[in-house]
Amino acid sequence: MKVGLRKVKSLELFSRDDLEAIHKSSLNILEEIGVKIYSDKALKILENSAAYVDRDKQVAKFPSYLVEEALRKCPKSVKLCARNPKLDVTLDGRHIYGTTDGAGTSTIDLETGERRLPTKEDVARTAIVADSLDYINMYYTCVTPMEVSKSIHILHEYDAAVNNTEKHFISGATDQSEAASYLIKMAAAVVGDPEELRKRPIVSSVACMASPLIVPLEAIEPSLEFGKYGLPVEVMTMPIAGANGPMTVAGSVLIGNVQFLAGNTIIQMANPGAPIIYSSYPLSMDVKTGAFSVAFPEATLITVGHIQMGKYYGLPAYGGGTISSAKVPDEHAAYEKATSALFCTLAGSEVCGSIGLIENYSVLSYEQMLIDYEMHTMILKMLEGISTDDDALALDVIRKVGQEGHFLAEKHTLLHSRKVWVPMLTDARPYPTWKEAGAKSVVEKAREKVKEILKTHKPEPLDTNVRAKLTEIIQSAEKNITSPA
Amino acid sequence: MSQKIIDDIREALPTYDEERVLKLTRDALAQGLDPLQIFEQGLVKGLLIVEDKWTKEEAYLPELMVSADIVTKGLEILKPELKARDIKMRTLGKVVIGTVQGDIHDIGKNIVVIMLEIAGFEVHDLGKNVPIEKFIKKAKEVNADVIAASALMTTTMTVQKELADAINKSGIKTKYLLVGGAVTTKEWAEQIGAAYAADAIAAVRVVKRLLGVED
Repeated sequence: MKVGLRKVKSLELFSRDDLEAIHKSSLNILEEIGVKIYSDKALKILENSAAYVDRDKQVAKFPSYLVEEALRKCPKSVKLCARNPKLDVTLDGRHIYGTTDGAGTSTIDLETGERRLPTKEDVARTAIVADSLDYINMYYTCVTPMEVSKSIHILHEYDAAVNNTEKHFISGATDQSEAASYLIKMAAAVVGDPEELRKRPIVSSVACMASPLIVPLEAIEPSLEFGKYGLPVEVMTMPIAGANGPMTVAGSVLIGNVQFLAGNTIIQMANPGAPIIYSSYPLSMDVKTGAFSVAFPEATLITVGHIQMGKYYGLPAYGGGTISSAKVPDEHAAYEKATSALFCTLAGSEVCGSIGLIENYSVLSYEQMLIDYEMHTMILKMLEGISTDDDALALDVIRKVGQEGHFLAEKHTLLHSRKVWVPMLTDARPYPTWKEAGAKSVVEKAREKVKEILKTHKPEPLDTNVRAKLTEIIQSAEKNITSPA
Repeated sequence: MSQKIIDDIREALPTYDEERVLKLTRDALAQGLDPLQIFEQGLVKGLLIVEDKWTKEEAYLPELMVSADIVTKGLEILKPELKARDIKMRTLGKVVIGTVQGDIHDIGKNIVVIMLEIAGFEVHDLGKNVPIEKFIKKAKEVNADVIAASALMTTTMTVQKELADAINKSGIKTKYLLVGGAVTTKEWAEQIGAAYAADAIAAVRVVKRLLGVED
């Protein structure tokens, strides 16, 4: 595995004053308007922390000191451990990581090219692909398998993932905190026991807050379970500008930030010091049609606002990436993904997501996984900084070659050729050569390559005893958890 | 013992360690080994290993270029002894190559030169901004099988046509003209009655095909 380094200054679209204004307005909203909370557990925690709770309305108002105290409790860097300790990563602001993500609800079949319902096999296969790619550092469930029992889908997702990648696992939402506790049991079985899991958090979970001003049950209750074991939570906010968030960029940054702070406050009050990642995947409305896009300029700008807010709070920030509203892996996907991923990473996002997903992270395309990965590695190369030391300035070799020579066979070229970006799919050859090689589009090349990976990449298998334990845990969960009505 | 040093040369080449390869080459000569064997079994076989790795995308172009450069330098060391023993080098064919008059963009042509040499052709590189007469004179002098001419600019590609006409009129035995360069196309080559290669790899393939050499 390899990791991206950030050695260039981050883009600052929002000034320190802007961020402060958003923070102060957030405190005002939390204190005066409050947030609707669909969880008795969470409301009880807030009551015990001296928040103002209206049980009838399920609305809590947060005193400012409580919100700020919760922020102070958050660790400043977050370690995401992996099944294989060599693949552990730390979100420390100095690195840029890549991840799959989405919990999508549709798969474009690799063989037929047709859309179909996602399966557990899709989770396994995308995990194999993620395992094979150096700069994908964690695996977040790409799609939600539809053939498994709904109440324990996250267990099947983890089962498929942990058997096929050694990298850190991020779980999507579940509306059952019981399912979360079984997931924790599975992860504990992989590392040995719950105490070891506390030291080595090999799974984390996304908690997606809702707009406007809602903390949903499925976001907060599993997070409280995760918090108990010191497992990191990506507190994610996804306002849709113009629909469930204000039309303006600043307004949607503000409402998303309020939602983040509400979630964080509940988690920190229950489990002080729980590792939190500030995460943002907003959308904005096409005012002509009312459709939503993750990659319109406003959506990207809101993401940047949230990334900057996360950094303002001294927290790791995870937002944006190769996102698009395109329906197929086409030119539309390419330009949206490229502009959005580059912009969000420039603004300081530490985790770039959505590798492999289209149509607002709801549809998996295997071909797109590799195309997005290609973009991701290009961006990492551009942000790793530029050396201007003597060797990099190359004065000696410029002198040696002199006028009219060439650098092709110079040792300096050879040594540095191992450090430059190298394409996996991109074909820079001229037309006749490209034509002779079959005139393949990048999508066709990606299809061939991903098939090759699925055929040849063999992830390190899990210990057979551990595998058996995981199956047992899933069976017992199946028996004990009833499907939500 | 003698075979060992040739094995060493072959195995040192893919490490791109010029000093070591050249020292081994000199040592092999000092041991009295056949210079042709040192060249063919040591240097060239080593280069083929790199070429094979390059074809499989395990080695990069600069690694192949540096390897070819080392082999060229090794050959220089062997040449006096080859001459002394009156040994002629085998070659797949003779190519006279240059960038046409008015054009000084020769980086692509340089890659073609190295690739043709790696493939086993005897290449006479006339450099850039080469007048038509110079191509013809050199081709006649070395009895070339192919003249290869590159052009990068639309203003100089027409010189390729003039060259084609001049070859036909000159009565030299050289049978083939190969054209290439950023502005050229297969259609253009057909129009002027020349062969075409889009890049250095294609150039080697096309020259082999023209001369009926097995790929």
